[in-house]
Amino acid sequence: MEKCQHYGQCVYEAPNIFQLNSEDKLEYIATADDAELNNVKEAADVCPMQAITIVQ
Amino acid sequence: MGGLRTAESLRRFGYSGDITIVGGEKHLPYNRPPLSKDLLAQGKDFDAVAFPIKDSELKAEFILADPATSLSCHEKRIYLASGRNLEYDYLVAATGLRSRQMHFPNNLKLGRYNLRTFDDAKAIGAAATPEKKVVILGAGFIGLELAATLRTLGCSVAIVALEAIPLSPILGDDFGLAVQKRHEKEGVQFHLNRSVQDLIGDQRISGVLLSDGEILECDLLIEAVGSQTNTEWLEGNNLEMGNGVLTDNSLRAMRIDKSRVEDLFVVGDIARFPYLNIALPARRIEHWNIPVECGKRVGREISAIEGSESSSEFKQGEHFNPLPSFWSDQFSISILSYGEPKIADTISLLEGSLDSEFIFEYRREGSVVAVAGIGMRRKISALREEIRL
Repeated sequence: MEKCQHYGQCVYEAPNIFQLNSEDKLEYIATADDAELNNVKEAADVCPMQAITIVQ
Repeated sequence: MGGLRTAESLRRFGYSGDITIVGGEKHLPYNRPPLSKDLLAQGKDFDAVAFPIKDSELKAEFILADPATSLSCHEKRIYLASGRNLEYDYLVAATGLRSRQMHFPNNLKLGRYNLRTFDDAKAIGAAATPEKKVVILGAGFIGLELAATLRTLGCSVAIVALEAIPLSPILGDDFGLAVQKRHEKEGVQFHLNRSVQDLIGDQRISGVLLSDGEILECDLLIEAVGSQTNTEWLEGNNLEMGNGVLTDNSLRAMRIDKSRVEDLFVVGDIARFPYLNIALPARRIEHWNIPVECGKRVGREISAIEGSESSSEFKQGEHFNPLPSFWSDQFSISILSYGEPKIADTISLLEGSLDSEFIFEYRREGSVVAVAGIGMRRKISALREEIRL
């Protein structure tokens, strides 16, 4: 989370994985089903800080 | 970035032909938003901003430091600065922007900077040591972000801009004033409604002369006065240019005679694409997420033409209608915007207060065209659903 600036762009692409909490900080689930893979890839693409790394 | 995202999308949707990515810079594609912030503040190197590229999936050839200089749509061939030329079946123009350069009577070069590329950011980072006197020309996002970063590094920072209130042409007067006040609290000085008339110094800048006669001491002058499209190489093909390249609804280049070029797509900052719901002429959008969205779309479109993308959820030629988004961090201010605030005819404060966090709503002819604010990101994000462009 070092690079993350909590812009929340990823939330829209993969809402099951990424959420902004009530303090506007980003929270995420670190392990996702394969079914979410495409959404997480989209989320990684739209992250302005390129903070999302996918390990398969 | 637009070129890389297009190539990734082509592969994702099954395109199996050769892909060549040509760039004018010597670097592989990299992410620009950190250039004005972390990269400067923490002196990071290229790896910190390089986009991850999976060669085994992308299977693309990169030609770097060799910009395209001309195009023949008729021959389906581009010519590069080195003299090399390349034939194509599909061409994607994603050459982006360069910083606009000012010209002064005493047009000194030493001590002057722009911020567009990685090399620009490194040059500023090396020169902007603590106590240096920095003058930033322009009070847009890049100017303000640089002001915040350099102030935090211990420089003294003055902003000179033509507008009366920073950001007001984009986000409105009240929003802009709120941003200005916070910058002033951090020690940034504003010289508004003014321009730089001339540079002072012999070989190296030592000051700037403002249009009202005031002289500011200056070690570094950073020109953040907008950008120009890198589209000269496309000239001579009867394309509808002028301000980027006009496209049809699916990002194909349009000719002056209103016919479209079937095998030439335009991606990112240089694409002037039509609205879906708003009765305004086609526009270019210089936000980070636009090349991402354009690239994704064009890669899919070409894959569909070639027959490798046949999913029922994708309709060839469907109106490209991305939601523009931008964000900006300056000191503790975090701005987030969705939509196109500058086309609004009515701006209203939706929530919060101007001295802390707030959200503005932007409407045009009654319907919401943007939401933007400081802080309150979760609420702003939720409101994006209301926007129609």
